[in-house]
Amino acid sequence: MTKKDLIDQRLVKEAEQMVMHTHTRRHFLKESAMGLGALAMGSLLGSCGGKRKAAHSIAFDPAHPLLPKAPPFVGKAKSVIFLHMAGAPSQFELFDYKPELAKMDGQDCPPSFLEGKQFAFITGVPKMLGPQAAFARHGQSGAWVSEHLPHFSTVVDEVAFLKAVTTDQFNHAPAQLLVHTGGPRLGRPSIGSWVTYGLGTENQNLPGFVVLTSGGSFPDAGKSVWGSGFLPSVYQGVQCRSEGDPVLFIKDPDGMSRDLRKASIEAVNKANMQEYKEYNDPEILSRISQYEMAYRMQITAPEVMNINDEPQYIHEMYGTKPGRACFANNVLLARKLVEKGVRFVQLFDWGWDAHGDNASNALNIGIINKYRSVDKPVTALLLDLKQRGLLDETLVVWAGEFGRTPMMENRNGVQNPFKGRDHHTEAFTIWMAGGGIKKGATHGETDEIGYSAVSGKVDAFDIQATILNQLGFDHEQFTYPYQGRPFRLTDVGGKVIQEIIA
Amino acid sequence: MMILAFVDFIGRFHPVLVHLPIGVLLAACLLQLFAKRFPLLKPSIPVLLFWGAMAAIVSCITGYLLSLSGDYDGDLVTQHQWLGIATAVVSLIFYLLNRLSLASGYAGFSAVTIIALITVTGHLGGSLTHGAGYLTEGIEGDPAAEAAKPIPNIQEAVLYADVVQPLLKRKCYSCHGSSKQKGKLRLDEENYILKGGKDGKAIISGKPDESELIKRLLLPLNDDDHMPPKEKPQLTPNEVAILSWWVSTGNSFTKKVKELPQTDKIKPVLAALQSGSGGSGAAKNTDVPDAEISAAGGDAVKKLTDAGIMVVPVSNEKNYLSVSFVTAGSQARELVKLLDPLEKQLVWLKLDGSNIDDAGLAAIAKLEGLTRLYLSGTAITDAGLQHLKSLKHLQVLNLVGTKVTEKGLVQLKTLPALRAVYLYKTDVNKNAWAQLKQAFPKTILDSGGYTVPTLVTDTTLVTADQQKK
Repeated sequence: MTKKDLIDQRLVKEAEQMVMHTHTRRHFLKESAMGLGALAMGSLLGSCGGKRKAAHSIAFDPAHPLLPKAPPFVGKAKSVIFLHMAGAPSQFELFDYKPELAKMDGQDCPPSFLEGKQFAFITGVPKMLGPQAAFARHGQSGAWVSEHLPHFSTVVDEVAFLKAVTTDQFNHAPAQLLVHTGGPRLGRPSIGSWVTYGLGTENQNLPGFVVLTSGGSFPDAGKSVWGSGFLPSVYQGVQCRSEGDPVLFIKDPDGMSRDLRKASIEAVNKANMQEYKEYNDPEILSRISQYEMAYRMQITAPEVMNINDEPQYIHEMYGTKPGRACFANNVLLARKLVEKGVRFVQLFDWGWDAHGDNASNALNIGIINKYRSVDKPVTALLLDLKQRGLLDETLVVWAGEFGRTPMMENRNGVQNPFKGRDHHTEAFTIWMAGGGIKKGATHGETDEIGYSAVSGKVDAFDIQATILNQLGFDHEQFTYPYQGRPFRLTDVGGKVIQEIIA
Repeated sequence: MMILAFVDFIGRFHPVLVHLPIGVLLAACLLQLFAKRFPLLKPSIPVLLFWGAMAAIVSCITGYLLSLSGDYDGDLVTQHQWLGIATAVVSLIFYLLNRLSLASGYAGFSAVTIIALITVTGHLGGSLTHGAGYLTEGIEGDPAAEAAKPIPNIQEAVLYADVVQPLLKRKCYSCHGSSKQKGKLRLDEENYILKGGKDGKAIISGKPDESELIKRLLLPLNDDDHMPPKEKPQLTPNEVAILSWWVSTGNSFTKKVKELPQTDKIKPVLAALQSGSGGSGAAKNTDVPDAEISAAGGDAVKKLTDAGIMVVPVSNEKNYLSVSFVTAGSQARELVKLLDPLEKQLVWLKLDGSNIDDAGLAAIAKLEGLTRLYLSGTAITDAGLQHLKSLKHLQVLNLVGTKVTEKGLVQLKTLPALRAVYLYKTDVNKNAWAQLKQAFPKTILDSGGYTVPTLVTDTTLVTADQQKK
C-alpha cells in the first residue's frame, strides 16, 4: 500500500466518521423515540375528544395552488370585498346616534369613564364632544345614518349593522393586524390569504387576492395586513393600482417581444424545475406557477383592470376620477375583479384618524371630505352589484380598526385646536352586506353616550368567523399546521354572528 | 329550613365521596387476587377493606341525603341505593371474615363479588348524574348534538309530536326525563309537562312571558336559573321561538301546524324546519338539493378541466357541481356539449361573457338540475330562452346585458322554482314591466338601472376657511 493510498483511505474514513457524527447516539434515540412517541401520541390525541368534528382538510397542490376548491359546506358568498377605513372612522358622526351625548357637549368627562382607562392621547379630564352631525332614520329598517352619508342612507335596507364591536388594541397597527390577521402582532396570514388558501380562485389569469390602496398612504400596519404569514407565500395579497399600469412592470419593456418574454419565462421555469428536483421545496413549484400566471396576467390584467372602458353612467354612479388613484376608482375596480372571478378584494383607504390636531383630520373639516369620498362609491358598489345579480354572492364588509371616544381629544391636558376624538376600543360600528347577510338588520347596542357596548357585543374574531361561515367554513375547523400545532384565523375566539345571517 | 339546607349540603358530597370506596375497595380486591403469588401483600388487605367499608358506609349516608332532594327519582335511584348498601355490607363482612382469618376459602369469591357490585353500582350512579345512555352516546351519537332532521311538510306536521317533543328530547330530557327530575320537573310526557315542577307550573297556556319554561330559556346565560345550565347544549334562537309559539298558541298536544295562527315572525322559523336548518342555524343554501347523489364521472370532469373550464363541487360534503367558463368563454359554444354527462350533478353554471348563443343553449336544456344559470353579457336572444323551459329547478337566472325582451321571458313563466331574474341592460320594454311582474308573481325581476345622483357635496371639498364662516 502506497502512502497515497493510505492517505486516501484515511480521508474516506474520516468522511464516513463525519457522517456518523451527525448521527450520534443521541440523534438515534431522539429520532426513534420521537417516531414511537409521535405514533402513540397521535392515537392518544385521536382518541380523546371523540365528539370533535374533523378539521377541514384543505388539499394544497403546490403546482396549482390557486385552482378553485370546494368549501367544506355550501357557502352563500363566493367572493369578498373588504373595505377597510384605515385610521378608524368615528361611529358618532356616522351610525351611532347618541342624543344624550349632545346634551353633555362641552362638559367635563365624568370620572367614571376615565378611572382605570388608558387612551392613546387623552390625559387628565377631557371635555365631552357631542355628535358633529344631524341624524335621521332611513329605509324600512329605520337605521340611523348621519347627514354625512346622504347616498349611503338610501341603501341601508341592504345592510346589516354591527353597532357594538369591540377590540383590545388602541393603536392603529396592532388593531389593523387584529382585524385582518386575527392577532395584534406580525406573522399571521391575513384573512384574504386564508380564504384563497381554502377556496382558491375561479379566474386563473388573475390573482385570487387583490389589494387596492387609496388615501395617500399605506395602512399603519404596512403590507403585513395582506401578508400570507405562515401560509404558502402564493396566497399573499397582490397589490394592484387603479392609476397607470394596474400592476407595476406589467408591460414588456421596449424591444421585448411577446415571444421573447415567453421564451425567457420558460427558461426561468426550467431552471426553477431543476432546483425543485434537487430540493423538493413546494415553494419552488408555486414560484413556477406564479411566473406562468404573471405571463397570462400581462394580457388579462390590463384589460380587466382598466376602468376606463366602463360606460360613462357607471363612472358617474361611482364618482370615479379616471387616471387618479382614489377610493372611487378602487371600488369600481373591485366590482370588475369580483365579476371576473377574483376571490378576495381588499381595499384600504387611509386618512380616517380624526384626532383634530390639524384641519385635515378635524371632524368638521378634513374628515367630512373623507365621508364625501366614500359615500357615493360605496353606495354605487352595493347598487351595481345588486343590479348585476352579484350582491347575493359577494360579501361586502365596511370596517375600521377601532372606534373613537365620546370625549374630545386633548394632548397633555391641552384641548386639541380642532374638533377630534381619540382612539377608542370599547365600541364602534361596522356593517356588512350581501353574501347571505340579513338585509336591514342591526345587531348590538351601546350605552346612552356610546362609550361601551351593552348588548350584542362582538369582536374581530366574531366578524372573521362570520365571514368564513358565509364562505362555507367552520372557523374552528379551518386550520393550518405550523410550528407543531394547528393555527386558525380566529385563534381561540370567534363566534358566528347568527343575528345578522339571513 | 336550616337543617334541610344542611342535609342538602352534606348530600351534595356524595358524588365526590363515592370515589373513595370505589378506589380503596378495588385496591383491596386486586391485592386479594394477587395475594397467593405475593404473600407479602396480605397484611395490607384488611386495612384497605376496613377503610373501604367505612367509606362505603359514609357514601351510603350522603347518597341517601342527596336522594332526599328529590331531584333524582324513579327506579334507577332505588337500584343504585340498594346495590350501594349491598356493597357496604359485603365489604364489611369480608373485612370481618378477614380479621377473624376465616376468609381464606371465600377470599377470591368475595373479591370478585365486590368488584362486580362496585361496577354495577358505579354505572347506575353515573347514569343518574350524566343521564342514562351517557356511556354509549359517543358510539351511538349524542341526542343533544344531533341536528333536527328536516320535516318534509311542516304545515302537515303535528306541532307537539313532530317539533316540540323531539326538541325537548334533544335538549331537556337528560335532566327532566324518566331517569332524573331536576326541580321535580319532567318534560317527557304530556301530563308531567302540565303538572310542572317544584316551583309550580312550567307553562301557562297562551302566556309564554309568564311560563317558567320559556322565561328560564330567555334569562342571561350566566343567571343561575337559566336553562339549560350553561355547560349544557343551548337552544338556538329558532328553537326558543318554536317553544314560545307553542305555548302562546295554547300548547296543544294534538294540533297540526296549519291549524294554528302563524305570525310573520314564526313563518321563517317554520320554513327553516322544513329545509332542515331549523335547529342548527348554519348558513344553508336552498339552491343545492338535499338528496344524496353519486359523484360525476372523472373522465367527463377531466375533459372539462383540461379545456380550462372550472368544475368544482359546491361543497366537500356534496357531489353537486358548479361550473364556470370564466376563462374559457371563447370556446363555450363548442364546449358546452361536454356538460351532458354532468346533467345530474350540475347545479350552478356560469357562462357570463362567453360566446354561447341561442343554438348553444339547446345543450343546456338537458341540464335539468340547474338552479343557477348565469348568461350575462352573452349574445343570446328570445329565441334561446325557449331552451330553458325545461329547467324546472331553476331559481336564479342572470340575463344582464343580453338582447332578451319581455316576449322571450314570458315563455319562462311556467318555471316553478324561479326566484330571481336579473334583467339590467336588456331589451325589455319599459312599458312591459307591469305586465311581466304579473306573469311572474313569485319572482323578483330586477331591472337594475339604479343611479346615484351627483350632489354638490360629492365634488366639493370642505376647507378650514369655509368652516370659520
